[in-house]
Amino acid sequence: MNTPDTQRKPMISIRGLSKTYGGKGGGGVLALNNISIDVAAGEFLVILGPSGAGKSTLLRCINRLVDPSEGQVFHDGTEITAHRGDLRAIRRQFGMVFQQFNLVKRLSVLTNVLTGRLGYRSVWRSLAYSFPEADKRIAIECLARVNMDHKAFQRADTLSGGEQQRVAIARALAQQPMVILADEPVASLDPKIARQVLGYLREAAQELGITVLCNLHQVDYAREFSERVVGMSRGAVVFEGPSSALTDDILHRIYYREPGEVEKDEA
Amino acid sequence: MSALTFEAAVASTLAAESQRRGKRLARTLIWAAAAIAVLWFSGAQIGMNPLALVKGVPFMADFFSRMFPPDLAHLSLLGDATLETVQIAVWGTLIAILLSIPFALLGAKNTTPHPIVFHATRMFLNALRAINELVFALIFVSAVGLGPFAGVLAIALHATGMLAKFCAEEIEGVDRGPIEAMQATGAGRLQVILFGIVPQVIPAFISYSIYRFDVSIRAATILGLVGAGGLGFSLIKTMKLFKYHETATCILVIFVIVLVSDWVCARIRARII
Amino acid sequence: MSSVAPVLAVDGVMEALAARKRWRFHHIALAGAAIAFLVWCAEGVGLRPKELAGALPAIGEYFYRMAPPKWEFAEVLWKPAAETLYIALWGNVIALMIGLPLGVLAASNVTRSAALRNAAKAVLNLLRSVSELIWAVFFVAAVGLGPFPGALALGVNFGGILGRLYAEALENIDNGPVEALAATGAGRLQIIAFAMLPQALPQFVTYNLYWFEVGVRSATVLGMVGAGGIGFELVTTIRLFEWRETGVVLLLILAMVTLIDLASTWIRARIYG
Repeated sequence: MNTPDTQRKPMISIRGLSKTYGGKGGGGVLALNNISIDVAAGEFLVILGPSGAGKSTLLRCINRLVDPSEGQVFHDGTEITAHRGDLRAIRRQFGMVFQQFNLVKRLSVLTNVLTGRLGYRSVWRSLAYSFPEADKRIAIECLARVNMDHKAFQRADTLSGGEQQRVAIARALAQQPMVILADEPVASLDPKIARQVLGYLREAAQELGITVLCNLHQVDYAREFSERVVGMSRGAVVFEGPSSALTDDILHRIYYREPGEVEKDEA
Repeated sequence: MSALTFEAAVASTLAAESQRRGKRLARTLIWAAAAIAVLWFSGAQIGMNPLALVKGVPFMADFFSRMFPPDLAHLSLLGDATLETVQIAVWGTLIAILLSIPFALLGAKNTTPHPIVFHATRMFLNALRAINELVFALIFVSAVGLGPFAGVLAIALHATGMLAKFCAEEIEGVDRGPIEAMQATGAGRLQVILFGIVPQVIPAFISYSIYRFDVSIRAATILGLVGAGGLGFSLIKTMKLFKYHETATCILVIFVIVLVSDWVCARIRARII
Repeated sequence: MSSVAPVLAVDGVMEALAARKRWRFHHIALAGAAIAFLVWCAEGVGLRPKELAGALPAIGEYFYRMAPPKWEFAEVLWKPAAETLYIALWGNVIALMIGLPLGVLAASNVTRSAALRNAAKAVLNLLRSVSELIWAVFFVAAVGLGPFPGALALGVNFGGILGRLYAEALENIDNGPVEALAATGAGRLQIIAFAMLPQALPQFVTYNLYWFEVGVRSATVLGMVGAGGIGFELVTTIRLFEWRETGVVLLLILAMVTLIDLASTWIRARIYG
């Protein structure tokens, strides 16, 4: 089911990805079951599914915070899963936005965004907690994009939830990544703020040509913010197509599927 | 609920409560008996004797009378010793702060490079913590000579053990979220420590360092007992010469220093937190 | 978003950033004063880099002389070691008996009368400021040599320390239950007993466990002034330059403290787990 965009080389290509946690030899938890997805460059793809569907694990396999048990992940043609050794160069290509924002509370907003540049800076310079001027400029520009530059010097824990997430988005943008992985970025925010945050994310990504993979469990947001949706349930992909095609039937498959129904759905 | 089942429910809960109370009482009695047995045995071993204490009151009174009134003229001689006590505490704590940072990083499960390093560090820190400053001072006086230098080293080593272990536990308890975020940006190990862990740990570290300084002042006042500088030396000297009025002055000065240090530390903690 | 407005905004923030980083005069003055103070302290205690560099090998040499430890010496150490533990135990009990009533009285939410409160605080301050070693000397004069005065000294000193900690713990409790109980018409003593003390109790236990550990470490040196425990053997072996025996004593102390540490962790897990 490829849309015309992915006829060109996809930005991210996932093939046969599986992940089992613990208990080798049949006792473990199957978090990802043979996932294959293509993501086009510049696309805002929503991965929709209930909690426990494996969405977080999927995202973390892409930037190798988690190592998959089987399968391959290709980024712009290069295979990521085969890379041994230092992962810094890979990880800085992927900006990540977390559900809990994960800012360092005691540091200022600006410093938090600057930490997005750490992947590009030598370790020894960082010891002095100083960043080059160019980095500071990048950081402030990113803050301006999410309209948080006026709070640059405030401590991160003085901000509201929505504001913190915007700063987290700025941090991801500061990496100048090709892809942003957003793991349930608005789960802890109320609807009006959530829409604002998703709006900033989509707008910044569109302006900068960044590909976004966004995990969500709210169907409304999926419909509003993306054109293509991948539905996941219990570690498997159960739907892939335009968000307009999210019928009740398909939603039921995503949200209410019983374990025994796996085989029936492999259509 | 019908009246009958209501009554039945209430009755059964009452019965359960009295059963639980019975069990709890039995358990408490057993623990109490054990505790009393231990205390009785150990008390006998060390000669706990309330009667002796009562009989000792006249001796205590005698002691006090010999010290009272304190010889205030002696104060002028204590100026240097007082300053020395403070100086010992300052540098002892400072060295401890500097040394405890690397040891804390090595001794925390999430920042240590290797399990062997982790266990070796923990053992070393335990050794530093177990040994009293006075004991260190006694050994160091033999090694580096009499005087405050030995005192500084003694305080520094013991305080390093305490501070480093505390800091290591703080490091192990940090919020993981920001750490993950930092790793996701492609930051290296050291950068993750600097930007993710250190900011989370600093407030507690500073607070505990100040507390450690307070403790060090207390310790520094008696290091002189073994010849490692400070007021303790005047204390023991005047006692050996039976000049109890001057001893009283020493005790008074120690009391005042500790009180002042206490107050200063409390204010600084309040300002920082 | 037009491209002109963001550029202006960015420049504005960059300027603000640069302004914040500039060193103001008072920063420099403060830094200068701190450095001067530290240098003065270092001079006062004879701390020079050369001395420090020489100290490490000197100390190392002394620890080297302690190897291999003369294990046979341990035979005479079991009794004093046990004595040390008993001193710590009874010291803690006495500290509880002294500290609890005084601490409760010193808490601002328990005692209405400021005079009574301040009196309690004053007594606690007196008890905690004077080092346990000085108290030990005092009690030895009162009841003679041996572990008994040691336990008394520890109890009195820690009573002051614990008392103040208890008072702080009581002052930090959640006021909600207190209000609720007052609303039911409960009397003052009942409120203290049912709303205040139960909330503070876990903190009390934590403090007692921690200070018991500290007590064991303190008890190891009380023997220096004749107040029992392993301190006497320790000082004697050092004074007689019997380093291999000293090594054994130190190892024994280390073992004791480590065991207490583990036991304490286990107890804490049982209570809170």
